[in-house]
Amino acid sequence: MKKRPGKQLLELTVNDEFYELAVEPQETLLEVLRNHLGLTGTKEGCGTGECGTCTVLMGDEPILSCLTLAMDCRQKEIRTIEGLDRENGLTVVQDAFLQQGAVQCGFCTPGMILATTALLEKNPNPSQEEIKKGLEGHLCRCTGYNKIFEAVEQAAARKSRHGDSGSV
Amino acid sequence: MHLPRFRHLSAASFDEAVRLLNEYPAAGLMAGGTDLLPRMKYRLTSPEVIISLRTLSADSPSVTPEGDLVLDPMMTLTAVNRSDMVRERAPLLSEAAQRVASREIRNMATLGGNLCQETRCLYYNQRHSYQFVEPCYKRGGEICYFIPKGKKCRAVFMADTAPPLISLGAQIKIIGQEVRQIPLEDLYTSEAEKPLAMASGEVISQILIPNGPGNRGAAFSKSSLRGGLEFATLSVAAVLDMEDDGGTCSRARITIGAVSAAPLRVRKAESALTGKRLSKELFSQVADQAAVEIRPIPHHGHTRAYLTECLRAGTRHALCSAAEGIDFPGFPRSRE
Repeated sequence: MKKRPGKQLLELTVNDEFYELAVEPQETLLEVLRNHLGLTGTKEGCGTGECGTCTVLMGDEPILSCLTLAMDCRQKEIRTIEGLDRENGLTVVQDAFLQQGAVQCGFCTPGMILATTALLEKNPNPSQEEIKKGLEGHLCRCTGYNKIFEAVEQAAARKSRHGDSGSV
Repeated sequence: MHLPRFRHLSAASFDEAVRLLNEYPAAGLMAGGTDLLPRMKYRLTSPEVIISLRTLSADSPSVTPEGDLVLDPMMTLTAVNRSDMVRERAPLLSEAAQRVASREIRNMATLGGNLCQETRCLYYNQRHSYQFVEPCYKRGGEICYFIPKGKKCRAVFMADTAPPLISLGAQIKIIGQEVRQIPLEDLYTSEAEKPLAMASGEVISQILIPNGPGNRGAAFSKSSLRGGLEFATLSVAAVLDMEDDGGTCSRARITIGAVSAAPLRVRKAESALTGKRLSKELFSQVADQAAVEIRPIPHHGHTRAYLTECLRAGTRHALCSAAEGIDFPGFPRSRE
């Protein structure tokens, strides 16, 4: 009889909470976030790295959770859309997306928000070109992108007005 | 989309990876995973064991006493792009790393993994479970659905960082049963079904870029359908080494990517530059020569005629951009 690989123990930190989980070796970070931890803010789009919908932050850098094996996240710190610092319920970036109408169906939005958050943490005052480069891995089938770029600009402007004290 | 079942092993070093590969010869070696995991999701490959290098931390780039630049293959493409040492000594590699896919993928994908990318084809790289037809060459059959008259697999090697490194004369160190160092150019077999000249138990452990002359111009040019998140339609990496007088080319290296199962150098076009004074007319002639020298394989819906024009324009563009970096006051600048 063929021996099936069993579950393995995984320790990781998601949104500042430490988890100890038993996961299948073939499970991706995306599946663990959604199915084990119930963090369904992270969406699965294409599943093959072509759309950016499943973006989460590992450390400070955006990565694709659909192409990351959960077992490779041992001792790593992950931030998802649920774990962003919020003032009055929404972050500056989320608020800017709402105000500019950058959300229509909303499926790409968690990935867009996390990529924007990471972009503004590295580069608080990005040019149009830098915004496009920063969000190049994210597809949106509704908005035509202009409203998203405007939202990023608004978030950057509001952040620089409030100085570095406010959360992104 | 779910992955097939496998056993997951983490390697803590390249030596351990080699030991594990000997223990499990059919295992899949995974660095960033951005090329392997989509293929596994499509069930194009289903190794029973995955040896993951993803938790290995990469060494920072360093320079040997001879002035050669040493890169760790586990550097992410983001790290390659951000490194000041790479930008200073191999600016076209830095540029190429920046042009790969998207920011998220560059944060995961590694330089070594990019060099070992599997060849791609519009037909092959998809799910085949509901296609009740004979498998194509690359899936073990005897037919090509992309070029129906083809006698063999015509998948194309599309990694962006290989042409710059070949133009820079890079060497790679491979560890396995023995340690060997080969020019990166020799890593590629030109066989689409087995593009890499590496045995199953071998791992690239180091990438070495030899020190170049003081006066050198280099550029990378990539054409693609979209500006980002896209494989190359065609890429060109040009390096021009100059004589001390500044205006005469002592050696040129031009490498073309995404035209074949291996990145190809255009040696006749290169020798047409050697010993000549640079001019825009010369660059046009060299670009025409390159377009004659290579017969691009049609891929991803691009016809051969279109790719040949991309090759001509890309070569001319890369040579002009390379000349801009040269300390040579007589050369007309495009920005003036």
